[in-house]
Amino acid sequence: MSAVTQRRRRLSGWIFVSPWLLGLLILFIYPFIASFLWSFTEYDLLTSPRYVGTDHYQRIAQEIASGEGFGKALVNTVYFAVVSVPLSIFMAISLAVMLNWKVRGQAIFRTLFYLPSMVPIVASSILWLWLLDPRDGMVNGFLGFFYEVPPLWFQGIQEAISLDTPLQFGSKDGLAMMSLWGVGNFMLIYLAAIGDIEPSLYHAAELDGAGVWQKFRHITLPMLSPIIFFNLILGIIQSVQAFTQVYIVSEGTGQPAESSLMISLQLFLSAFRDLEMGYASAIAWVLFALLGLATWGLFRTSKNWVHYRGVRM
Amino acid sequence: MRQRISVILFLLTSAVIAVWGTSVSLTSETPVGREEVVFWHFWSGADGKVVDQIVQRFNRSQEQYFVRAVSMPGNNFDMKLFLAITGGDPPDLINQDDPIVADWAHREALYSMEEIAPAEEVDRMKQWLLPAARSLGEYDGKLYAVCNGLDIRALYFNQDLVEAALQRPAPPFLSSTDELDSVAQACTKYQGQQLTQVGYLPDPRRLWAWGPAFGGDFYNEVDNEFTADDDAIVRALDWMVSYRRRLGAHNVATFRQNDQSLPNKMFPLLANRYAVVLDGQWRVRDIEAAQEESLLKGQSPTRYGVWPLPHDPTASGKAGWVNGNVFLVPRHSKQSKGAWEFIKFWTGLDGQQDEAAKTCIAGGWIPVAKPVSDSELFQGYLDEHPLFERFVEFSQTDQVPTPLVPGAARYYREINNLVQRAMYSEEQIDLKAELALISQQMQQQLDRLGDRSHVVDDGGRNE
Repeated sequence: MSAVTQRRRRLSGWIFVSPWLLGLLILFIYPFIASFLWSFTEYDLLTSPRYVGTDHYQRIAQEIASGEGFGKALVNTVYFAVVSVPLSIFMAISLAVMLNWKVRGQAIFRTLFYLPSMVPIVASSILWLWLLDPRDGMVNGFLGFFYEVPPLWFQGIQEAISLDTPLQFGSKDGLAMMSLWGVGNFMLIYLAAIGDIEPSLYHAAELDGAGVWQKFRHITLPMLSPIIFFNLILGIIQSVQAFTQVYIVSEGTGQPAESSLMISLQLFLSAFRDLEMGYASAIAWVLFALLGLATWGLFRTSKNWVHYRGVRM
Repeated sequence: MRQRISVILFLLTSAVIAVWGTSVSLTSETPVGREEVVFWHFWSGADGKVVDQIVQRFNRSQEQYFVRAVSMPGNNFDMKLFLAITGGDPPDLINQDDPIVADWAHREALYSMEEIAPAEEVDRMKQWLLPAARSLGEYDGKLYAVCNGLDIRALYFNQDLVEAALQRPAPPFLSSTDELDSVAQACTKYQGQQLTQVGYLPDPRRLWAWGPAFGGDFYNEVDNEFTADDDAIVRALDWMVSYRRRLGAHNVATFRQNDQSLPNKMFPLLANRYAVVLDGQWRVRDIEAAQEESLLKGQSPTRYGVWPLPHDPTASGKAGWVNGNVFLVPRHSKQSKGAWEFIKFWTGLDGQQDEAAKTCIAGGWIPVAKPVSDSELFQGYLDEHPLFERFVEFSQTDQVPTPLVPGAARYYREINNLVQRAMYSEEQIDLKAELALISQQMQQQLDRLGDRSHVVDDGGRNE
C-alpha cells in the first residue's frame, strides 16, 4: 500500500469517527473539565465564575456532618440504594430462574416480564403514583388487610427499614418499589447467564444427591456471581443517578420534607433553582468520588465472592 | 464517483437547510416597519388564549411595536432563559411567578425599570401600583419587576356546612385563630376511626401567610437578617402543628395526599372534604362553575363564603401573604422600550385602565392598580362575582410578599420542608431551633453572595 493511499485511508478513518469524537469532546470531555474547574468557583450561569478555592467542598463536608442539605440527600440516596439494589437483584434472579423453567408459554412469560422496562419512566412514575396512592391505590387496598394504618408511600417521610418506623413505607420505599418495575433489563442478563451454565454441573450435582435448593445455592448462584457483581455496580450507579422518577413523584422538590431529596435532585435544584452552579459542580465531583470509592470497595470484596468459571478472583 | 455523489449530497443538504432557515425568518409575523418585542410566558391552554388576545389588543393599539408571545409552559422556563441570556439572545420581556426577583436582580440578569423607562414614568408606575403589587417588584431601591396580577389567599368556607355545624349563621369574619379552631373542630367528622371531613387543615406551604398574620417577619430589611425564628413565626408554626397534634400525623398526611387524587384536580372544598380551605382567588371560578352545575341539575347550589385571615393589627399582624405574576426585562434585551410599553398597557398606566380591566376580567386576575378595579367596567364584573370582590378588597390591605432577598426561592423551599416535616410526622421538633437553623443557613448563603445593601422603600405598605 502506497504512503498516499495509507494517508488517505487514515484521513477517511478520522472523518468517519469525527462525529463521535466531536460529541465526546463537546458533550463529555468539555463538561467534565469545566465542571471540575467550576467546582472551585462561585458561578451562577449569568455572571463570570469567581474563584473561591475549596469553599464548596468544605460546605459539603459540613453538610455531611450536620445531615443538612447535601448530607440529607446523601443519606436518602444511600437508603434508596441499599433498599432498591438488593431488591432488584433478588427479583431479577428469581424471575430469571423461574423464566428458565421449561413450561408452556415460556416465551410469553419472558416477554410479559420484560415489557415494563420498555415503558417510559415518566409514564411508569405516574402509574406508580396511582398504585401507591394511600387511600385509593391498589397496593394499599391489599396492604389494608395487614395494616391498621396503611402506608403513606410518596406522602410519607417514614422509612420501612428504620428502627423508628419499622415497616412503615414512605416516599423512598415507594421509589424503591418503582425501581423493581424496571428489573427486566437485569433479568434478561441473568437469563442469558443461566442459559450459559453447563448442564453437566447440574448432572454431577444430581448424582451427588443435590436437591433444587442445593443446586441453586452451589451452582447457579456462584456461576451467576460475575453477573451479580456487574449488576450490583450498575445498580448502585443507576440508583445514585435516579432523577426523573424522583422529580415526578416529589414535584421537583424532594417533598415531603426532603424525604425523597436524592443527590441528583439536590444537584439540579442547586444549579438551576438556586443558581449555585459551582456548588452543584462540587456535588457532582463528590458523587463521582463516592461512586468510584464504592466501586473500588466492591472490587476489593469481589475476590471473596465472585467466581469466574470456578475460579474465585 | 461515489465520493463525488457524497459531496453533491452534502452540498444539497446544506443548501436545503440554509434555505429553510432563511425562509423561517422571512415568514416572521411581525409587520414591516414595526419593532418586534419577544415575550416569553408560561401560560398555556385557556389562559394561553387569554394572553394571546391581550397581545393582539396591544398590537392593534400600536404603530411602533409588535409583541410576539411565546408560550413556555413547564418547569424549565428558568433554564431556557439563562441559556438565552448567556447565549446573548434573551427575550425582551418575560413573565414569572416565583420569588426570584431579588436573586436575578442581584446577579444582574435584569434591567431595573429605571434603566429602560423615563424616571418620571417609573415614578408614576410606582404610584399607580397597589402597595402589595409594588412590594413584589422593588429590590435595592429600584423597581425590577412590575406585577401584572396579584394572587391573594383567603379562607373559603362552605357556608352550609359551617352553619349546620355551628347551628347559627356564619360570622362575616373570624376574630381570631381560636375562632377558626372552634369552627374547624365543629366541622370535623369521623366515620368510626376514619376521618371523613376536616373542618380546616393548615397547608404546610402557608406558614408564609400565617407567619405575617401572627405578626411575624421572615426578614429584617433594616439589618439584612433572616428572621425565620421570629417568635411570632414560631407561634404561627406551633399553631399549625396543633392540627397535627389533634388529628394525628398520619391522618394529616393521608388527607392531604388524597386531595391530589380528586378527579380533574378538583378544589377539595367542592368535594366536601373540608369546611374551610385557604386558597387563592382563582378558585372563585371553580365555585361558580359548581354552583351553575347544581342549578342546571335543578338542585339548590351550596353556598360558599370568604373570610380574610384572622389577624390582630394591634400585634402588628398583617392581613396575609401575597404573590403574583411579574413582568421582568432580561438584561441585554434588544427591545426594552417596547417591553415597557406593553407593561404599561397590561397594567393600565397612562389612561389605559379600561384595557387593563378587560385584561383582568378575561383572565380572572386581580388588578394591580386601584383605578383599574374602580373602573366602571371592572365594577360591573365585580357585581356579578361577589366572592371575587372580596379578594379585590383584600388586595388593598396589608399583604406581604416572600422577602425580596437573594436566595428567596431556597428560603421558601426550606421553610416549606420544615413545616411538612412538622405536620406529617410525629417527630418532636424544636421548632424555634429548626427555624433558627434555616435563618443561619440562609444568612451564610447571603454572605457568600457578598454584601449588598437592599433597602426597600416601605412605600406606604401600611397605608
